[in-house]
Amino acid sequence: MWIEIAHFSTIIALLLALLQVAAPLVGVGLQRPVWIRVGRQAAFVIAALLTLATVGLTLSFLHHDFSVKYVAEHASRSLPIFYLVTALWGGHEGSLLFWAWLLALFTAIAVWWHWSTHGRTIPWILAILGVVNSGFLVLVLFLSSPFERLLQPPFDGRDLNPLLQDPGMVFHPPFLYMGYVGFAIPFAFAMAALINGRISDEWILATRRWTLFSWAMLSTGIIFGAYWAYYELGWGGYWAWDPVENASFMPWLIGTAFLHSVMVQERRRMFKIWNLFLIITTFALSLLGTFLVRSGVLSSVHAFASDPGRGVYILMFMAVVLIFSFGLLVFRSDRLRTEVRLESPFSMEAAFLFNNLFLVIAGVTVLLGTLYPLAVETLGNSKVTVGAPYYNKVFIPIMLGTLLLMGVGPLLAWRGADGARLFERLKKPLAAGLAGLVACIFLGVNHPYGVATVGLLLFVIFSHLTDVWGGVARRRTNTGESLPAAVFGLLIRNKRRYGGFMVHFGVLMMAAGFVGSGLFQEEKNLILAQGDSVVIGRWRLTFEKLIEVKGSNWNAQEGIIQVDGPGVKMTMHPQKRVYENHAMPTTEAAIFSGLREDLYIVLGDAVTENTWAFRIYRNPLVSWIWSGSMVMAMGVFFALMQGRRLGKKTV
Amino acid sequence: MKNLWKVVLLSVVVIILGLFALGLGNDPRNIPSPLVGRPASPFTAPALDEGPPITLESFRGRWVLVNFWGSWCGSCVREHAYLMELARMTAGRDDFIMIGVDFKDTREGARQFLANLGDPGYRQVFDPEQKVAIDWGVYGAPETYLVDPAGIIRHKHVGPLYPGWFEQVALPLMGKKP
Repeated sequence: MWIEIAHFSTIIALLLALLQVAAPLVGVGLQRPVWIRVGRQAAFVIAALLTLATVGLTLSFLHHDFSVKYVAEHASRSLPIFYLVTALWGGHEGSLLFWAWLLALFTAIAVWWHWSTHGRTIPWILAILGVVNSGFLVLVLFLSSPFERLLQPPFDGRDLNPLLQDPGMVFHPPFLYMGYVGFAIPFAFAMAALINGRISDEWILATRRWTLFSWAMLSTGIIFGAYWAYYELGWGGYWAWDPVENASFMPWLIGTAFLHSVMVQERRRMFKIWNLFLIITTFALSLLGTFLVRSGVLSSVHAFASDPGRGVYILMFMAVVLIFSFGLLVFRSDRLRTEVRLESPFSMEAAFLFNNLFLVIAGVTVLLGTLYPLAVETLGNSKVTVGAPYYNKVFIPIMLGTLLLMGVGPLLAWRGADGARLFERLKKPLAAGLAGLVACIFLGVNHPYGVATVGLLLFVIFSHLTDVWGGVARRRTNTGESLPAAVFGLLIRNKRRYGGFMVHFGVLMMAAGFVGSGLFQEEKNLILAQGDSVVIGRWRLTFEKLIEVKGSNWNAQEGIIQVDGPGVKMTMHPQKRVYENHAMPTTEAAIFSGLREDLYIVLGDAVTENTWAFRIYRNPLVSWIWSGSMVMAMGVFFALMQGRRLGKKTV
Repeated sequence: MKNLWKVVLLSVVVIILGLFALGLGNDPRNIPSPLVGRPASPFTAPALDEGPPITLESFRGRWVLVNFWGSWCGSCVREHAYLMELARMTAGRDDFIMIGVDFKDTREGARQFLANLGDPGYRQVFDPEQKVAIDWGVYGAPETYLVDPAGIIRHKHVGPLYPGWFEQVALPLMGKKP
């Protein structure tokens, strides 16, 4: 019953989405605002209908309606209710419906917010978002419908893939999709600006919050994915440069570039075409991500069900969107030429330019690494994989360069800094960075990247602190406030700037985590009998016994390991689970997270009657990645609280 | 020169799209077996029907289709109809023979499978501990190998065979090396 309601509302939503494309265009053509208003109502109704569809599908899950094929394939009676609800995006069909639903919601919100302020662009925004959503709804309805019924419903479903039964995986897709879909709004604004030929920079201001929001969601989604890989996949790492991971990382890199370069357009009216290029590319890469994951064109450990028919459709859809948007950019760009030229290589805008270059090069690096195997397989006839060695070689230097810029950036001024003053401001951060380098060498860190990172981290921290300190001091001399009041007042006054600083601190923490775990991980493969003890780093582990455990829909073997570490005594429980309905066992690594390092234990197979294989890792600083990402999210939240500052003068 | 970036940008977009269009035909599961072109790993293994053991070398001089399956494998059910048809179709050929390898299975389960879906009539190796399957680099079921009269593996097919496979894939290979 519910599934028919869901199906029917989706069909009507598709028809209305076509109306949402056509009506505003007719309205513009005939100069009849009433038609544009029809488009607006359509957007609202679509949002309501797709909400209904999503609720309908979710209810089918909750009712264990296994006559619905999608439910039968992704749930079972014994699946806990938490995963029952989130199984909605556990498979291809449901995730696409989810995508369309999010887009409809965002469209409705965008139209509601910007209706009165952006009368001239709103029809185009409606039409563009309508095209994108119709594309997805066609896919949902005709090529991968989650609403199909089975003629002979099974008594019990096939259950959700056990690897997906993990909190990290529950939150990974929705955040990722919110990021992908969120970028559709700035994309639509950008396209509307191009079509209108309005040289105004209004779209940049209007979409600032959308961009920030989408960027934060995408970042969080990627981090959840990494977190899931770390906790659930049991290989001791969190990022494998898998094509599907790269697919989410590329829009992030370009989106990050966009986030920075819009500031230049806001203040200096420069980089206009470049910004359009960046946002179009970000959204194109979001679509590409969906395409890569859903068409099976690239082999990947993510091994989603692939279907060439779908692939052909998504590709055609993507081709239309990409060629139209990049084509428009190319043919309209001449209207957007700016007269403003870069005045000094030591200016804020130059720093942003280099930041953009680094990030775009990083994006291209990932793109090449992702596409190269596809090219070799298609044009030649062999299989290659591009793995961590390539990315580490190319990527780490680029990221270190970005860190350097991050440190210099805040101390520069728009239009150009006076060299002597710049040096004055850079003195302390440089000293801190150098001190870090020296300290590293004395502490025996001998990996060049490790040393460089420590130096750069200190440099960036001090450059940011110098800036904040300068602001606080100026404020105190002007107002005579107390120190805490001055700090608070300064941060509150420019939430956007200091929110950005907070994000930078988060990034630094994460960088520390990446370098620590990437360069200094220790791995041991051991065969232990009951009662055996081993020493790893600062930890002494004793394998006590192996027991059987039972969960709601799984059985597991669990190793009981006594761990004796600095200041802690604890028992750790690595498991090997076998889920009902699934033959493949999954590992549940036992992880102790500390500030300095994680202890990560994976239970392997039985080797003989009473010895078992274990893999034990020491992962330095991994917890810094997760806490850094939280600082980052807080920073974005802080920056989002800043209202629009339309009246702000350009420099 | 001023508009060079436009040409470059559009070409890059078109090239990437083109690459995907061509790449769509690739099967991500189709990993070329390093064993193709190499001698098949010889075996003498017990038969499912508890008759005399089956030896690969005894089929020298003929093309051998070796089909790995198990009663636990869903896709094998789908494939079975074609195997039955293929066995019937090629029963008259003296240059071609089929054998099955039932691996990671119980005799009980395999017999049940054949009783339910029909017995194609060719001989079946019983390989509960996957000795043959591991030697041959099998990582899923069904998988099918085509071994030439000299005992060299000429082709590996991952996943169920489909109607027309013999004519489209096997015969051309056999034609080259009669």
